[in-house]
Amino acid sequence: MDAVLQGLVLIADPFNVALIFVGVLIGVVVGALPGLSSPMAVALLLPFTISLDPVPAIAMMAALYCAGTFGGSICAILINAPGAPPAVATAFDGYPMAKRGEAGRALGIAAISSISGGIISLFIFLLATPLLAKIATSFRPMEYFALAIFALSMLASISGKSPLRNLIAGAVGVLLGTVGIHLTTGVERFTFGMHAFTGGIGFVPVLIGLFAVAELLNQSQAVDKAYERIKDLVVKLPSRDDLRRIRGTILRSSGIGTFIGVLPAEGATVAAIMGYNEAKRWSKHKEEFGNGSPEGIAGPEAANNAATGGAMVPTLALGIPGSATTAVILAALIMHGFRPGPYLMKETPEFVYAIFAAMILANFMFLGIGLAGAKIFSRITLVPRTFLWPAVFVFSLIGSYSYGASVFDVWTMLVAGMIGFLMLRHGFGPAPLVMGLILGKLVEESFSQSMILLDNKWWRLFESPVVVFFFVLTVVSLAWPFISAWLDRRKQAVAVATDPVGD
Amino acid sequence: MLNRTDLAVTAILLAICGWLYYLTTSFDAVSPLFAQDMPPERFPRMLLWVIGGLALGLPFEQRLRGAKGKVLDKARATPARPIVYVTTAFLVAAVFGIPWIGTFLVLIAICIGLPLLWGERRWKILVPYVLIFPAAVMVLFSYLLGVYFDPGAIGVKFP
Repeated sequence: MDAVLQGLVLIADPFNVALIFVGVLIGVVVGALPGLSSPMAVALLLPFTISLDPVPAIAMMAALYCAGTFGGSICAILINAPGAPPAVATAFDGYPMAKRGEAGRALGIAAISSISGGIISLFIFLLATPLLAKIATSFRPMEYFALAIFALSMLASISGKSPLRNLIAGAVGVLLGTVGIHLTTGVERFTFGMHAFTGGIGFVPVLIGLFAVAELLNQSQAVDKAYERIKDLVVKLPSRDDLRRIRGTILRSSGIGTFIGVLPAEGATVAAIMGYNEAKRWSKHKEEFGNGSPEGIAGPEAANNAATGGAMVPTLALGIPGSATTAVILAALIMHGFRPGPYLMKETPEFVYAIFAAMILANFMFLGIGLAGAKIFSRITLVPRTFLWPAVFVFSLIGSYSYGASVFDVWTMLVAGMIGFLMLRHGFGPAPLVMGLILGKLVEESFSQSMILLDNKWWRLFESPVVVFFFVLTVVSLAWPFISAWLDRRKQAVAVATDPVGD
Repeated sequence: MLNRTDLAVTAILLAICGWLYYLTTSFDAVSPLFAQDMPPERFPRMLLWVIGGLALGLPFEQRLRGAKGKVLDKARATPARPIVYVTTAFLVAAVFGIPWIGTFLVLIAICIGLPLLWGERRWKILVPYVLIFPAAVMVLFSYLLGVYFDPGAIGVKFP
C-alpha cells in the first residue's frame, strides 16, 4: 500500500502532471492525424525524454499511448479515415452516425467508452502486475526462454497482412539484436569493422526509421490526398438511453481488450476488431451495425483503450512487450537503466504504480481534452501533408541524432526507414521487427544460459512444466491462423448449407 | 502456383541469409571451454535457418490463403511512384550534408526542399514555416535539452 501511495505522490508533482498533459495533448493530436501512429509518436518522444527523470519520462509516454488510442477515433468518426489502426473498427459505425448529423453523439460515445475501457483495464493492471511479477520471480532462464519464444510466436496472430511475414520480420528483429559484442565470449558479430556497431544497433534510430521514415516515404505518394470533414460539430455526452444500451458492450469489450492486451505482442487493433465483432454478436439491434450503431462505436473503443492497460502488464511484469507501443516504452525503460520484468516490481514498485497513476490521469485528461477540443482536433486533418511530413522528418533526424550525438545514428534511422518502406510494400509490418529487436537480447541470453545450465541437452528444457506450458501455447499460437481459417471456411459452409440461395 | 514477386523476395532473403551465414564463419574462434559450449555463431546461425525456412513458404502463401491472400499484393499492385525515389534521394542528400553544412542548415533545407518537391507552392505558409519551425526545434533541443549539434565543416552554427 505504501508503494501505491508513493507512486501517487510521484505523479502528483506539478511538473509531472504538466508533462502528462503534454503527452495527452500530443497523443490526441497524433491519434487524430491519419498516418501518424502511437508507436511512431512514442519513438519520436523517446529522445526528448532521455534528459528527464524516469518517472516523468515513462509517464509521459504512457499518457501519449492512452490518448493516442482514443485520438484515432476522432478522425475515424469525422472523416472516415482512422487516425490510428486501432480505430479502424470505430469508423464502421462512427462515420455513418456522423454523416446523419450525429457526429457529436458519436464522439461522446467514443470518449465515454474509451475512458471506461481504459479505467477498467488499469484496475486489472493494478491487480495483475504484482501477481504476474511474483510468479515470474521464480522463472529460471529456461522459463524465460520459453516465454520469449511464446511472445515471438504471437507475432503470427497479431494484426497485419500475413502471419508468415510477421514471423519472418520478428526473426529478423531478433537477428538484428545479435549485432555487436557477444556477451559470453566478447566476440564481435556482424559489426563490419565499424566501431559504432560494437554496442549493438541503437533501438531509437531503428524505431524512428521503421515507424516514421518508412511511413513518410509511403505518404510521399499521396501528399495531395484530401479528406471530407464533418462540420457543425457539437460534442454531446451519451444520453441515458445510449448509456443503458452500451454499458454491457463496454464491460464486455473492456474484458476482451484487457485480455488481448495482456497477451504478448497483441495490441489494440486486434482488441478493437474483436470488441466490434462481439458487440455485434451480442446486440439486439444487429441490423443497425454499419449504419451508425452506438454499440458499434462503444465496442471497439472500449476494447482498444482497455488493451493499453492490459499491454502494460506483460511489459512491466515480465519485460515482454504487449504491443508495438509498449515495445518502444520497454526500450525507454532499458535506456533509463531499468530492468523490465519481475525485479522492476520487486525493487521499485512505486515506479510501476506511478505509471498506473499517470495512465489513470491521462484517461481523465483525454476525456476532457477530447470532448472540449474535438472541434479543434477535427481541423488538424486540414494541416497539409506537405508541411506535416517534413516536420516529422525534422523530428526524426533530430531525435535519432540526439540519442547519441552521432550522425551514424541518423544514417541508421534513414536506412531503417528505407528498409521499412520496402517491408511495408511487401506486407511485412514494422511492429514485429521492433518486437523481435527488443526481445532479441532476452531470447539469446536466456537460451545461452539455459543451454549452459542444461549441459547443452536441449531436450531437458521439457523437464520444466512451465516450459512445456509455454511451448504448448507457442504451438497453439502458431497454428491459430490455420485454425481460424478453417473455422471461417466451416462457418461459410454451414451458412451456405442452411441458406443455399443466399437469401 | 507460385507468386513471382514473393519468389523474388524469397530469393533475396535466402541470398542475404546465405551471406550472413558465411559471415558467421569468419567470427573469431573461441575455445569451447571459454564459450561454455555456446559459441558466438550458434544463435545467429539458428536464426538464419529459421528465417530461411520461413522464407521458403512465401511464394506459396498467397495461393494457400485463397481470397484473403490478395491483400498481400495491395501495397505493391502498382510500382512505387517516382516521387518516392526522389524523396529518398533528397533525404540521403540532406543527411549527407550534415557534416558539411551543419544540422541547422540541413533542417532548413528539409523544410523548404520537401514541400517544394511535393508540389507545395503556398508561399505565405511556406516562408513562415521555413523561418520558424527549424529554429524552434533547434531552440528546444540545443537550449532546453542541451544537445550539441555539429556546426559542419563550413562552420555554420545555430546562433
